[in-house]
Amino acid sequence: MNTLNILLMGFISIVIINNMVFTKFLGICPYLGVSGRIDMAFGMGMAVTFVVTLSGTLTWLIDHLILMGTPLEVTRYVCFILVIAGAVQLVEMYLRKFFPTLYESFGIFLPLITTNCAILGLCLFINLWGIENLLEAVVLSFGAGIGFCLAICIMAGIRENLNLADVPDCLKGAPITLITAGLLTLAFMGFAGMIK
Amino acid sequence: MNYLELWNSAWPAGAIMLSLGTGFAVVLLIASEKLKVKVDPKIEQIHQALPKIDCGGCGFAGCSSYAKAVAEKPNLIGRCAPGGAETAKKIAEILSLQISDSGAPKRPIVHCRAHTNDKTHYATYSGIPTCISANALPNAQACKFGCLGFGDCVSACKFDALSIVDDLATVDYEKCTGCGACSKACPRNLIEMVPFSKENMLTVACSSKENGKTTRSMCKVGCIGCGLCAKQTDLFKIEDNLARLDYEKYKPTEQTETAMDKCPTGVIIFVGKSAPAPRQPAEKPATATA
Repeated sequence: MNTLNILLMGFISIVIINNMVFTKFLGICPYLGVSGRIDMAFGMGMAVTFVVTLSGTLTWLIDHLILMGTPLEVTRYVCFILVIAGAVQLVEMYLRKFFPTLYESFGIFLPLITTNCAILGLCLFINLWGIENLLEAVVLSFGAGIGFCLAICIMAGIRENLNLADVPDCLKGAPITLITAGLLTLAFMGFAGMIK
Repeated sequence: MNYLELWNSAWPAGAIMLSLGTGFAVVLLIASEKLKVKVDPKIEQIHQALPKIDCGGCGFAGCSSYAKAVAEKPNLIGRCAPGGAETAKKIAEILSLQISDSGAPKRPIVHCRAHTNDKTHYATYSGIPTCISANALPNAQACKFGCLGFGDCVSACKFDALSIVDDLATVDYEKCTGCGACSKACPRNLIEMVPFSKENMLTVACSSKENGKTTRSMCKVGCIGCGLCAKQTDLFKIEDNLARLDYEKYKPTEQTETAMDKCPTGVIIFVGKSAPAPRQPAEKPATATA
């Protein structure tokens, strides 16, 4: 019961309170770049969820089984990047074979995820927070992906409506998007402290 | 001695990286063999022959999906407007088919030539600045047929070939690929895709089906349906108070030139890459107030 409680709390915490985009400012590039339309944003969010769960789990395993045994924790960054790039490749091949429609709809987003810093960030955070349990690491990774998906979908929804709004000329385009992102972050700051 | 220490502490890191990298390489190698997807080589060849600009003019999501579709169903050949007849020929070669000549490439023609000073407004429209919203209101501008000038076609164009010049959609024929996205975007169906058999094509740049008097009262350059052009040559037909050109038998002669000169409002104009500037309507001075 206690484990379940911890897992649930961890999940809610990473999705809403410690959201990668809103509180850590990671993954801002796709968050602003691919949030033009809601269907594309959802595709990106799902792809990230997929990869982050896989690479979060794999990096935890590698970190605990290989790197921590030997005093080689300094190579963590490089190893993690290797894992993420490999995982993306693997996911791409797997999807292409078994879910061709999903693969088509992901399109260019899948290879782009390799350079998404939210994923590397999450892998490093799992280490920083000292997660000692594989199950917890998996849940946290999955939650981070869902959190990213939530953030990018909210942003895309707002931006779709923003297209029809009467925005002052000087704020059109990037400025209003950044202001929106800031306001959205402020709103999510309200959740801080919900879980101690 | 220092170098030896450095080496001693560095090699395990290198070894770990190398083994991890090799491990992933092996996994990916196995995966790429096991998860290989058989792709018809023709699809790739067709994809190479396409312009790869993903305009969507063919009705598919992009060039790669069109290539796949055309390989399966050869009757979809010739849908690629930017590639035109040449691409269709190449695809036919790849699929070893015979095709008939698909004719001249299609380019859009805007059937309106009213700029800001030519138009009449009963009131100022201050709603959502898109054509599709303005078109929903009866009085966004006096003319119910002409260009609204909010640029739905401009945002539909992926090639930057359209622009709004003084409230009128204007095509840059140098940049246009003929994908037809603008034609679909215009809520007033002003943009027609016309086979450009010549570099410059004659057109009746108006869509107003109101009678002559009403058209005249709303627009300085509208077609009043007088029929002077139709008397010159049977290339022109008057339907619903509006002159139309028959592009099926398009062949400019001296009579069409005369028809162009005789047109009292000057709606018969040339459009194309090197079209001459249209003359101003005869009776009204060019410096008319807005």
